[in-house]
Amino acid sequence: MNKNNQLVKIFHGPQHPGITGNMSVEIDLDGETIVNAETHVGYLHRGFEKLVERRTIPQAFTIVCRICVPEPDPNEENFARGIENLAGIEVPVKAKWIRTMVLEMQRMTSQFLWMAGQGGSLGLYINPQWAVADRDLMLDLYEELTGARVYHMYIYPGGVRNDLPLGFLYKLGRLLDYYETRLPEYDRIFFNNAVFKKRAVGAGYVSPETALKHGVVGPVLRAAGFKKDVRRYAPYEMYENLEFDIPVATESDVYARALIRREEFKQSIRILRQIIKMMPKDGPVNVKLKNHRQFTIPKGETWVRTESSRGEFSYYMASDGSEKLRRMQVKGPSMVHAMSLLPEVIKGGQLADVAMIMNSLGTCPPEIER
Amino acid sequence: MNWKLDIKGILEPFTALKYLFKQPATLLYPFEKRKTTENYRGFHRNDQSKCIGCGLCEDICMNDAIDMIKPEIVKNAKNSSELIPRVDFGRCCWCSLCTDVCPTKSLTLSNEYSMVSTDPNSFLYNIPDTSKKEKQNG
Repeated sequence: MNKNNQLVKIFHGPQHPGITGNMSVEIDLDGETIVNAETHVGYLHRGFEKLVERRTIPQAFTIVCRICVPEPDPNEENFARGIENLAGIEVPVKAKWIRTMVLEMQRMTSQFLWMAGQGGSLGLYINPQWAVADRDLMLDLYEELTGARVYHMYIYPGGVRNDLPLGFLYKLGRLLDYYETRLPEYDRIFFNNAVFKKRAVGAGYVSPETALKHGVVGPVLRAAGFKKDVRRYAPYEMYENLEFDIPVATESDVYARALIRREEFKQSIRILRQIIKMMPKDGPVNVKLKNHRQFTIPKGETWVRTESSRGEFSYYMASDGSEKLRRMQVKGPSMVHAMSLLPEVIKGGQLADVAMIMNSLGTCPPEIER
Repeated sequence: MNWKLDIKGILEPFTALKYLFKQPATLLYPFEKRKTTENYRGFHRNDQSKCIGCGLCEDICMNDAIDMIKPEIVKNAKNSSELIPRVDFGRCCWCSLCTDVCPTKSLTLSNEYSMVSTDPNSFLYNIPDTSKKEKQNG
């Protein structure tokens, strides 16, 4: 409170140390304690859902990856699978394997970015330096496979755009070996760090009831004790042929969510090793589509979902029989996590913990506003 | 809140100091430049001896980054429209849909990605012709 005995109002953001994009939290402070909070968005609206309605399908697929900056591939895959459902396209088996591989690679790069952000939000600056450098090695592989480092535009309706380059799986295997050696190093500087534990244990608690009330997804839900993962309860692509565990915790604080993400990183390595073994040697990787003005989709509607590193992404798509979609609605995990859950979770907490909790909930502003 | 002294957790982060004696992970840019991979999606190239000026690249580009212009010399006799594409790099998103639809595969993407200029009009990029090089080599 200030000298007139009033609460002090501050804006946290729109620039943040740990998250990609802009959003702000309006906070009422009593000293350092948060009394009331409200999320404000509106800094990043680009109107992708509307743009998709004005573009033919091949033209639209190049913008869906921009819906979530750190995780373009789950969006590409979701969009492609939705169009395939509507148009009744059967995707070649090898393309499905490659898609699964790309999605898991994406999960790992995204976990690195989360690790960088979580360190940045706490002032542990070795973390961002290391995580971004290690993520870059995966981006090198992406560059080789897709031709781009961040917005890959690789998974498209009908398959993937090109086959694996020569020796790609070998390079991927070597990178996984390297990541396995790096994980104990990250444990030493970050996951077992006394500073991180002191700050994170008990902070940002999400009760199981709150999680269900808000419709929370992903690691936040799993840290609250629910064993829910789209890859397991609604398998897509090749996930039903792969063995992996879904980590669960009950503490539901920032530290528990960090450990869940660490375990998911290990599971991604395990999945990728299986994919390297099971990847078909040859076969087509895409089906040829008609010219983009003649590629019409039958009238219908579909709902597809995919598990990104921060939770479930779901797309609702409706077509009216023309070459363009009539409507596309995107629901990303941050819509819930940052808009409705975050103000409730930080209430009663300390101002210094806002950035850490925001990052722990997997906030990604570009995906809230699209 | 109870807190036990976590000596391991306090000392272990200092193991990162060993990286002070290792090679840096960064490059000494601009003295040392990164090599891009073969299928990197960089600046456009057009083999004008193959380009038929069909305009499919202009049609599929959703950013309106490509427009068809009249070249000084039409190098392909089959180019009935007598036009070649020009790219506005202020609009291009390097999705490479234009190269995918090119029926003669004359339009390609190179692995060059760095362009520095004080002139904003240089974003309107007259695509370099690769047919010249082939002739010189041939």
